[in-house]
Amino acid sequence: MKRRDFLKVLSAAPGIAAFSCADRQEAERLAAEPDSISDADLSWQKAPCRYCGTGCGVEVGVHDGRVKAVRGDEASPVNRGLLCVKGYHLPAFLYGEDRLRYPMKRDGEGYTRISWDEALDLAAKKYQETLDQHGPEAVAIYGSGQWTVFDGYAATKWFRGGLRSNNVEPNARLCMASAVTGFMTQFQSDEPMGCYDDFEAGDDFVMWGNNMAEMHPVLFSRILESKRTKPGVRIIDIATRRTPTSDYADMYVEIIPGSDLALANGILHLLIANRQIDQQFIAENVIFKRGIEDLDEIGYGCYGEQAEHYTFKDKGRNASLAELETFLADYTPEKVSAITGVPTGQIHSLAKLYGDAGRGTVSLWCMGVNQHVRGTWMNNLITDLHLLTGKISKPGSGPFSLTGQPSACGTAREVGTLAHRLPADMVVTKEAHRAKAEEIWGLPEGTIPPKPGYHTMDMFRALMRGDVKTMWIQTTNPWVSIPNLHRIDRQQGPDGNFNDGRFIIVSDIYPTPTTAIADLVLPAAAWVEREGVFGNSERRTQQWNKMVEPPGEATEDAWQIVQVAKRMGMGHLFPWPDDNWHEPMYEEYRRFTVGHGKDVAAYTQLKETRGLRWPVVDGKETRYRYAAGHDPYVQKDQGVHFYKAKGYGEKAAFWLRPYHPPAEAPDDEYPFWLSTGRVLEHWHTGSMTRRVEQLHQAMPEAFVELNRADATELGVTHGDSVRLRTRRGSLELRAEIDGRGEPPRGSVFVPFFDESKLINRLTLDAMDNISKEPDYKKCAVRVERV
Amino acid sequence: MRCARRTSLNRLLLPVTVLVLATACSPPPASEINGEGKTVASVRAERRAFDGAPPTIPHTSFGMACVSCHNLEGVAVEGVGYAPPSPHDKTLGMSAVSRCQQCHVFAGTDQVSTGNKVANHTVASNTVASRPFVGNTFAGLRQDLRPGRRLHPHAPPTMPHKTLMRENCTACHAGPAAREEIRTSHPERPRCTQCHVSVETRSTFTVPAAISNPASPAPTGG
Repeated sequence: MKRRDFLKVLSAAPGIAAFSCADRQEAERLAAEPDSISDADLSWQKAPCRYCGTGCGVEVGVHDGRVKAVRGDEASPVNRGLLCVKGYHLPAFLYGEDRLRYPMKRDGEGYTRISWDEALDLAAKKYQETLDQHGPEAVAIYGSGQWTVFDGYAATKWFRGGLRSNNVEPNARLCMASAVTGFMTQFQSDEPMGCYDDFEAGDDFVMWGNNMAEMHPVLFSRILESKRTKPGVRIIDIATRRTPTSDYADMYVEIIPGSDLALANGILHLLIANRQIDQQFIAENVIFKRGIEDLDEIGYGCYGEQAEHYTFKDKGRNASLAELETFLADYTPEKVSAITGVPTGQIHSLAKLYGDAGRGTVSLWCMGVNQHVRGTWMNNLITDLHLLTGKISKPGSGPFSLTGQPSACGTAREVGTLAHRLPADMVVTKEAHRAKAEEIWGLPEGTIPPKPGYHTMDMFRALMRGDVKTMWIQTTNPWVSIPNLHRIDRQQGPDGNFNDGRFIIVSDIYPTPTTAIADLVLPAAAWVEREGVFGNSERRTQQWNKMVEPPGEATEDAWQIVQVAKRMGMGHLFPWPDDNWHEPMYEEYRRFTVGHGKDVAAYTQLKETRGLRWPVVDGKETRYRYAAGHDPYVQKDQGVHFYKAKGYGEKAAFWLRPYHPPAEAPDDEYPFWLSTGRVLEHWHTGSMTRRVEQLHQAMPEAFVELNRADATELGVTHGDSVRLRTRRGSLELRAEIDGRGEPPRGSVFVPFFDESKLINRLTLDAMDNISKEPDYKKCAVRVERV
Repeated sequence: MRCARRTSLNRLLLPVTVLVLATACSPPPASEINGEGKTVASVRAERRAFDGAPPTIPHTSFGMACVSCHNLEGVAVEGVGYAPPSPHDKTLGMSAVSRCQQCHVFAGTDQVSTGNKVANHTVASNTVASRPFVGNTFAGLRQDLRPGRRLHPHAPPTMPHKTLMRENCTACHAGPAAREEIRTSHPERPRCTQCHVSVETRSTFTVPAAISNPASPAPTGG
């Protein structure tokens, strides 16, 4: 530092000297205050972060019944002390001024405060009436991947074992259902084999449609740190737009939306052509399967009759490596380049990377692959790349699906709150699985119905048709997050009430567009206002204690469910004392998992650790599933054993999956692609993060990212208002040009966090044929200058 | 009361000291403190949700990489102030922090923030109109301004805070952006932790006795 610079500083900030004087006086004054509290005065406890599926550990500082601070938990193996901006501002989301505090009943245009007794009686009465008059298919409960294990377990047990209805769904259907069907079709067991340790162990990180820098920032930091300390680590960003992730990529591969299917097949083609496959691994561990591929038969779930009921079922048949070679003849680099827009050189590079036996390869994906009209296929194809090269179930190599919600894995997938699932990979369609659930739940044989309930998209369609009459929504905000929202507009009558014969109960912590259409609003306790368990993306189950009281009369979601069940004479499902039900409920759930390679840790162990990755056998966690030396269920000395895939001879299934075009593509009338997603500062529909001042100020409203060349052609500059119009609706947004994301020409991107700028009024309700997860990433839009 | 200590400030800091002494220690004129009579501690607090939260960025976006000013030594920016260097040096496994905006967001001073003032924009009967920030009653932990402890007058003080994300001591304790009372008297000796140890508090997993599981709330009437 030069003397000249110092003088410059002093001239720029003349107050420096005076500051320190006043500040010292302030310090002396505060130190003398009797109620002055410091870090050490706070009571600190561990908890996982409330937001995404990463599952960062935080330490929560409480004083006098209020959360005063959080800090990254250095003892957490997930984040080692680091958080992202949402995590650092975590405690403030509890204290928004408009927290819901009391049960409220719709009363014309407004709401009337009622007591919990009245509220619970009313909910129980409505469920009972609907059951009596319309049967179990007319009741539903819709939760989320933010349900704790307790909430999800209470909901699934009450519905399947009490109401005898499988209409239990989580918003995870909109989020990672395609990953579930991907893993299930290939391994007959859900969730990845690898873990976050791969971020240090791997050499190449291939991101398939995954803006990890904004969506899983702390995990991205781990990769960046690995890149910094280990020369040669590479990041490959396969994407439809440039994002902050692209800034750190060694190779950016820009694809035409939906063409990832062709790109993956193109890589498979080259791996076989170059003989860069692991013959021995394939012979020992892989079978080949092929499903229905006829586009007309499959459809997209949003046209014709499929727009009311989408019930397509895939049928697999056996295939072979020889058949695969023939199948892939269509996917030469030249043909793939024509479909994807990717130069052939990049396709060769990707094949070389996956084919390099000397380097660990981790494939990462999240919503880009899952929210896809062929999302299950795309999940299959990514895993296929690893099966063909034997790069799976070993440190530093494997297909790793990331999740967006804190307990998408722990609750939606492991407890099984999807309409067809039971805990621990079991399904309602199998008699033996139902029998096992009935045995653990102490219910008579035949209690659980064998027919799966509605998947989310059909559930809301059924609600609007009137086939579902009573629905309870917890921990989610579908009137912002469902695609093509026009289809679920609920019309008020002249008196302000919804006189449509439906009854919608919404439990939440803040008013949202979803509570705005509710007949009954129940205030929920959030995060550390209650005891909970979440399961993150790497199979880590994490427990936290209740640390502060919820505001007003708010209660936890699971408690609300149990109380309604009790009022309906189903108290036998929840036989635990009111003051100690968490641990026994969890231990009952754990019985489903033990002995099946899904073993979650004992509650006492969860309380004392920063979580453990299942299967947990003899108190020890598993880093790599199916891998000898790691997974206690593998008896072999070396290699892998896909022991869960009983139906495939304990081998993994390689699925041949073709390229299909998206449901809607730009044309003369609607010439742009529209993709939607999240931003770093906000989580999901923003009902929590938009109440945090720092986050709200940094990102107060939704915008539309435009390519500069397109903007120039339209006569639009940064900050101008533009109108987006699709076949479903229109929306005015501020144009963002050369911002943090940069879409290529002919495409735009809009985040969905802003409830006053509902982009889902424009999106299409097309969905994946197998998982029934909607595609929020691809539809046709027109951009107009306002 | 003497506010500016004349200890063994190194030669580079001498000009600062001279000015410090020149302004002496009468109550500072309001105009010199951002025009609002704010202390440095209160300015610091305003930029944080609580002590321990990453500060928001107090200036507008200049369209440059953060590290072009917030470099290893810091830079004086005319009309803005002194851009301090980053204190994040080698957080275990997490030192790739060129992604500053992963944790630090603009404090509503850039163009984006005007969005919460836009006119109501009703898109459908079932949606709520755009509205200003609803308010938040979160009261975060304040900065503990008590200094570190000394075993005896000649012993080095302990650090009153944790070192996580604060490995580069000189970012805050030396240079023109350093507040006077925490500015080191010996910036020429870079191995701070050789003499100053951190008081690390660790969480325990005990449940406070006052917190129990929720019992059935008493009905309160409509």
